[in-house]
Amino acid sequence: MSRIGQAISEIQTLESVSREDRWMNRIHPLSKLCLTVFYIVLTVSFSKYDLAGLFSMILYPAIAFMTADLSVRDAFRRLRAVLALVAVMGIANPFFDRTAILSFGAFTVTGGIVSMISLFMKAVFTVFAAYLLIATTPMDDICYALRLLFVPRILVTLLLLVYRYLTMLMKEAGRVTDAYLLRAPGQKGIHFRAWGPLAGQMLLRSADFAGVLYESMLLRGFTGEFRPTFRHSLKASDLLWPLGWASVLILLKLFPLVSVLGRLVTGNWN
Amino acid sequence: MNDLMIESRDLRFAYEKGTDVLTDVSFSLAEGEKVGLIGRNGAGKSTLLKLLVGLELPNTGTLRIRGIPVERKTLSEIRRMIGYVFQDSDSQLFMTTVEEDVAFAPRNYGFSEEEVEKRVTDALEKVRIPHLRKKSVYKLSGGEKKLASLATILSMTPDIILLDEPTVTLDPGNRSNLIRLLNGLDCSLFIASHDLDFIWDTCSRVLILSEGRIVCEGPSEEILRNGDLLRKNGLELPLSLIQRDRCK
Repeated sequence: MSRIGQAISEIQTLESVSREDRWMNRIHPLSKLCLTVFYIVLTVSFSKYDLAGLFSMILYPAIAFMTADLSVRDAFRRLRAVLALVAVMGIANPFFDRTAILSFGAFTVTGGIVSMISLFMKAVFTVFAAYLLIATTPMDDICYALRLLFVPRILVTLLLLVYRYLTMLMKEAGRVTDAYLLRAPGQKGIHFRAWGPLAGQMLLRSADFAGVLYESMLLRGFTGEFRPTFRHSLKASDLLWPLGWASVLILLKLFPLVSVLGRLVTGNWN
Repeated sequence: MNDLMIESRDLRFAYEKGTDVLTDVSFSLAEGEKVGLIGRNGAGKSTLLKLLVGLELPNTGTLRIRGIPVERKTLSEIRRMIGYVFQDSDSQLFMTTVEEDVAFAPRNYGFSEEEVEKRVTDALEKVRIPHLRKKSVYKLSGGEKKLASLATILSMTPDIILLDEPTVTLDPGNRSNLIRLLNGLDCSLFIASHDLDFIWDTCSRVLILSEGRIVCEGPSEEILRNGDLLRKNGLELPLSLIQRDRCK
């Protein structure tokens, strides 16, 4: 299978996983969305040197992944491109921030190294929290939750359409690439001279295809808003999961797990 | 069979000024009637179908669906009565699973969830693909996609179904399935195709479109046996008829 084919297959698999009949998938999308946003905001709010506090935040993705029966290895594999980008983002910190924070003999830990690690941890935790939401909630339901939060209709519809067109665009890119490679035997990748015409062709075809797709939607009563497929309204049991976690996360923010454990071990409470 | 479902009088349409794609097109379709629209590539078949559902509006002439003129203000009413099966099923299927795609129209028309569920089940059973209900649209074969596309239209329970080149991606088995299925439907059918064997098997009346004009219309039995007329319009006798004549 081509790389584009594999990418489409990954999207489809993730979509299927999100539709499985599991306990976590059945929680109301609004609860899961609010909890994810809360977790992300809280994680990002840690100081760039507060590694101990930040480390405690691993508790939510770790437990939620187990509860949702999701594979961490699959998540790492699917998110490897994002994680690589994140790793690159903080790489310059040690060069700019050289304030010494800790010393182990000859080895000095600078503020730059700590902030780089903290940036990486923040990114990994937040990306995993977002993955957790996507892997347990179909995109339609996430959009439905966004509408419940009064996000403008146009934005939500746009998000859903982009998601729909993404697969189509990738399929089109796959077809164009295959057609090129079949007539360029022995060549690795696409020659830079063909990039312009291929990109142009793909853009035109995609625009054309998007137009037909939109017509097809219009002919089936589409008036600018996707109807929710989620079947039940918000129940008290849907609130237990987010409220429970929100309380735990606030406690972790106030009393970082690592610090508490450290104090327990050393007996130093001052 | 007396109520007119489609009534077209002197229809004229051009994408660009001065180059008419359709010229003085007049025809009608009665309730429950199954009519084939045949013609060579570029004759204007798909354009005519687009006019019927209001994706394009005629420059001059009148077009009525169940007596309602096709105008911008009547489009939503018209589109509730007509289902359009696109030539390329990928254009028709855009939701993630077959079930969601089939439920798309009933949900948009504001039916209750129970009614949506019933319509989805009925439509999938009619096209004999209830087992594909939860399957991802992306993983369907060409034949399955065509049947799923038809199900997305049947869930609207339309009065008229327009089909644009329905057999293009089908293998013989799926083609036969589609013929059996279409022959079992009560609604009116208007099928644009140059698969004349398919038209022979499904339609009682045929229109020939050539260079944007309807050059001939009549019973399938008469038109599809007229080799000279068909050849003149870039078509050939249906293979099944040629074989039948050879056997005789």
